[in-house]
Amino acid sequence: MEFLEVCGLRRSIRIFDRKKPVDRRRVQRILEVVRTATTCPGNLQPWRAIVIEQDKLSSADRKTLLAADNYQAAHAQAPVWIYWCADTDAARPEAFRARVHELIDVGAMPTFYGWTHETVDGSILRGEVAPEGMANIEQIIHGMPREVSAMIARQETVGACSVAVLAAVNEGLGTCLHSCAGVDKVEDVRRVLGIPESWDAVWVQLVGHPLEEIEAGGQRPRLPFERLFSEGRYGTPFPRDAKVVEELKKEGLIRAATPKPGRFEELMRIGRELGYPI
Amino acid sequence: MKDLRSYLTVSRWIDNVNRYYRLAESEWKGRLEVLRTFCDRAGKDPDAVIAAAVGEKGVKVDFMRMSKQIAKEMTADARAAHDWDGVIRSFFIHNGARVVVRPYDDD
Repeated sequence: MEFLEVCGLRRSIRIFDRKKPVDRRRVQRILEVVRTATTCPGNLQPWRAIVIEQDKLSSADRKTLLAADNYQAAHAQAPVWIYWCADTDAARPEAFRARVHELIDVGAMPTFYGWTHETVDGSILRGEVAPEGMANIEQIIHGMPREVSAMIARQETVGACSVAVLAAVNEGLGTCLHSCAGVDKVEDVRRVLGIPESWDAVWVQLVGHPLEEIEAGGQRPRLPFERLFSEGRYGTPFPRDAKVVEELKKEGLIRAATPKPGRFEELMRIGRELGYPI
Repeated sequence: MKDLRSYLTVSRWIDNVNRYYRLAESEWKGRLEVLRTFCDRAGKDPDAVIAAAVGEKGVKVDFMRMSKQIAKEMTADARAAHDWDGVIRSFFIHNGARVVVRPYDDD
């Protein structure tokens, strides 16, 4: 699928075909895309994932994980659940140091900008001011509190999730991100999944074949372009060129908005078939 | 009990469902029969049922059990019983009473 079409078809799918399994190859392909394409400061890659095929769970564990997500219907239906976790240890200063050394050694960070093992060690280990041309890593990373590491790990994992949902769409699958657990159920999820102490469960990505049509009723309402994007300074909207919009319609990014004709008939049909109360 | 449609909770239910799904009048007729059977068994009118259900969780749970029980008595067909119970759950949902919903095969 073309990239813009993938982006244009990205939806939070909320009705999955419970009986249609997901080919394991496709799951691996999603994970490979995340591993390859996700960006992260210092190349930390603090995202981790635990893949669950719900049919392989014990009844008790399935119930526990579903209860943690308030038994949301889409969660109960999707055959595959990918629990995306943030490894806070992977965003500690020593991890930054190791990863950045590696980037320098493979030629990803030019030494002519000042990136050397010595400058990196000076900034991260001793808080020496980074030379202009480099990131001011002494301010961010030297003596970084664990809470900040956790925040970085979590925010970068959210970024990985954005890549993961596009990768799933590219595989022709339906997908949706859910909260892993309510506040009072976090420990239940940790126990069932065996999540290490230093990891935080961030999102669970539901993956399956949509039972609703692939457009799921059409593109969701979006805030006005000009309200989201400024140019120069806040308050000056980035002008939206109608010609570009037309191009993107042709290329499959901008599609019919929800509700497309027949959406509620589709929902009613599916609801009746599955036995939900209309 | 007076005409069910004259109760606030019933008109709200019909309006809410029809806002999205526009059910045929013949279907509403059947649904109202289901609701009447339920209300008769509960010994309350629809507004009183909802008032009691949103007021206390235990009452709501009892209503849901009763709905399932009546559904089983009404039909031997498991799917039809599930759908009968679904009508009552729909009535509760559209009146702000939070109830569990499950698809037929996960019931």
